[in-house]
Amino acid sequence: MQPQGAAPQKLALPNIKYLVAVASGKGGVGKSTVSANLALALHMQGHQVGLMDADIYGPSIPTMLGVTNVDPAAGDFPIKRHGIKMMSMGFVLGGDKAAILRGPMVQRYLVAFLTQIEWGQLDYLLLDMPPGTGDAQLALAQTAPVTAALVVTTPQDVSLSVARRGIQMFRQVNVPVLGIVENMSYFIGDDGKRSHLFGQGGGQKLAAEAQVPFLGELPIDARVSECGDAGEPVVKKYPESPVAQAYMALAKSVDTTLKGMQPAKELPGLTL
Amino acid sequence: MSASGATAPVPLRLSKDGPDRLVIEWDDGHRSLYEWQHLRANCPCAGCREEREQPPDPFRILKPNELAPLKPAHIEPVGRYAYRIGWSDGHDSGIFTLEFLRALCQCANCHK
Repeated sequence: MQPQGAAPQKLALPNIKYLVAVASGKGGVGKSTVSANLALALHMQGHQVGLMDADIYGPSIPTMLGVTNVDPAAGDFPIKRHGIKMMSMGFVLGGDKAAILRGPMVQRYLVAFLTQIEWGQLDYLLLDMPPGTGDAQLALAQTAPVTAALVVTTPQDVSLSVARRGIQMFRQVNVPVLGIVENMSYFIGDDGKRSHLFGQGGGQKLAAEAQVPFLGELPIDARVSECGDAGEPVVKKYPESPVAQAYMALAKSVDTTLKGMQPAKELPGLTL
Repeated sequence: MSASGATAPVPLRLSKDGPDRLVIEWDDGHRSLYEWQHLRANCPCAGCREEREQPPDPFRILKPNELAPLKPAHIEPVGRYAYRIGWSDGHDSGIFTLEFLRALCQCANCHK
């Protein structure tokens, strides 16, 4: 797959009802895990869902959703697995090849993923964003009709401080912030007690400070990474687990909040 | 608590005031006025910024597309946060954020 032509100025994606960026600013907070499990949870609640891996340099979605033997030459995209449609640079490159690309090419690939892939009618297209506030975020803010950004953090101050920058970036480019989800919030021991291994309350505090909804806490569970590595997200493999239930609750919160949100206004144009 | 978007002013309408000026009406009631030449003179692209930092070269040979009077060719939104202006000489790399556009306003109130 090769990006075609010059990048368009602004895309219209009428077949996609909600285009949601799952972002943070911070790396390692679980954006891809949240994206994969949220996508499946939304699907399990009856929505038509797509998942686009916007991390061109470090695509995780192929591994997390068990799609690792795609023939790039066949070009049969989007890949359909677990009831959702997905696209990733990992499918284009194959194997463990590195994407050695500068910013403008990152933009071209992201626009190509949005426009050259037959997504069909979707209620949700989730964008699994890379860490940072740079090329990928700017490319999508400039060209894609992003409905809102879901910001992922963990409880620690070091994550919160970077997540704040991510929120600030979305504000500056006029992408509404849907809310905050706190990953790795607590661990449930065998006795049923919760231990807050990485601190407590950070996500709620950030949400209050940024004046956005706090959409939920996701517990630490060893099965999350086991499932991520095995390619079958925890919401599907262990649906009765507390973490899967938390993802189902998150999916409901996301859907309810989006339905209640005023859509962002597009800027007026002028023909000279 | 609702999902919060931007709180900075956003344009409601763009229009022309004759051939030489751009008008932007904002949702906070402000009406901005710009000479097109003023916008080009303040193009925020890296190339123009670098050029403005250099002393003018009196021996610079003008390119053919610089010989005709400079006019705006097109203006379009960039996402929901900026505008890109394309010019008759082909230059179009400047992205004017809404914040920057407000700062460049030449209306009588802003120019007091």
